[in-house]
Amino acid sequence: MNAAVEPSDKELVELRIPSRPEWVALARLAAATVANRLHFSIEEIEDVKLAVAEACTAVIQHEGHGEFIDLTCEALSDLLRIRVRDSGRHGLQRSEAPNMNFDEARIAGLGVFLIRTLMDEVSYDVSPQTGTDLLMAKRLGVPGH
Amino acid sequence: MQEREQARRDRKRTRALFERFIERRKRYAQSDQTPEPEYEGLREELVVVHLNLVRFLAVRFANRGEPLDDLVQVGTVGLLKAIDRFDLDRGVEFTTYATPTIVGEIKRYFRDKGWAVKVPRRLQELNLAVNRASDKLAISLGRSPTVTELAQHLQAGEDEILEAQELGQAYNLLSLDSEVSGEADKKSQTLADTVGVADAGLELLEDRANLEQAFGVLSGRERVIIYLRFYESVSQTEIAKRLNVSQMHVSRLQAKALEKLRAVLAD
Repeated sequence: MNAAVEPSDKELVELRIPSRPEWVALARLAAATVANRLHFSIEEIEDVKLAVAEACTAVIQHEGHGEFIDLTCEALSDLLRIRVRDSGRHGLQRSEAPNMNFDEARIAGLGVFLIRTLMDEVSYDVSPQTGTDLLMAKRLGVPGH
Repeated sequence: MQEREQARRDRKRTRALFERFIERRKRYAQSDQTPEPEYEGLREELVVVHLNLVRFLAVRFANRGEPLDDLVQVGTVGLLKAIDRFDLDRGVEFTTYATPTIVGEIKRYFRDKGWAVKVPRRLQELNLAVNRASDKLAISLGRSPTVTELAQHLQAGEDEILEAQELGQAYNLLSLDSEVSGEADKKSQTLADTVGVADAGLELLEDRANLEQAFGVLSGRERVIIYLRFYESVSQTEIAKRLNVSQMHVSRLQAKALEKLRAVLAD
């Protein structure tokens, strides 16, 4: 019934949200919609939503984060690729390097562990200059997640 | 950097705990000796030290409709498994090692509870509730209600309302062949497998295998109708509204579908 339109070779969704917790739900919903287009199972979709929420939270928790979060969802026949990026930073100098306290750093780190268990591939880059830039991918029908 | 200092001390202490624990664990693994209380004590201490990790992870799954306490409990089972398998030679921090085990245990719990079937059902119910409440509030307010008003009225989150409106409809149209079980080693279960058979209208359908086969003769639309009507107990009028056809048409399609099912099962 819901397979009326098959995704073409590649579909791209880009979303820019304010870097605030109340907008994270929109990022979750956008990613869920793209995952649903690829016919991911309900559990897989829930995993994707959780991973996106964790990634957004990591961006927001990073001190000196920018005004926006840029979310990019790429649907490639059996692969969902998502990028969550801190955007619109004012560009901190190295001397002003964010002073994350240990607990924050640890919690942001735990978020990444969690993302790793939910997605098939994760890579990220965190720096005082560019903030958080996280890439993750999930393949359709990979068991064990 | 007092916190950092504290964290370093904590980590050192955890490592020392693991050293003592693993040394004993290996010793007991090679003998039939009953572990001394000290061993259990160390194990317990390791659990306590890492309960925050379990809570951190359990909270992330708390919006899926199971009590947080239960999730912490099953998460702790995962933690114990990780403690019993961890080795310092692995070259990874225990937290890294334990996270997938704890998450795995929590997810298994949801699977055992048939969560993948419940989610669409909960969203569908909320979707219906939103429609009803929205009609009701429109009358009392004299205008269309806001999402905030609906959320208050239904005691649900605003996110949930939006999601139910959006996804509730999508899930309504899930094919009965949709997989509802994520277990890799089991034969995957489809929605059709989970359709209840106790209904008066479907008394004939006692055998699940037969049922599954029988559903094959139905068209997509007939399946949806039978599913909504007998599994979700949705009225014909409501089904008609969802499928954007007349109630008479639903009635005819339902009769035809039941006739087809009976014919197949009579063979």
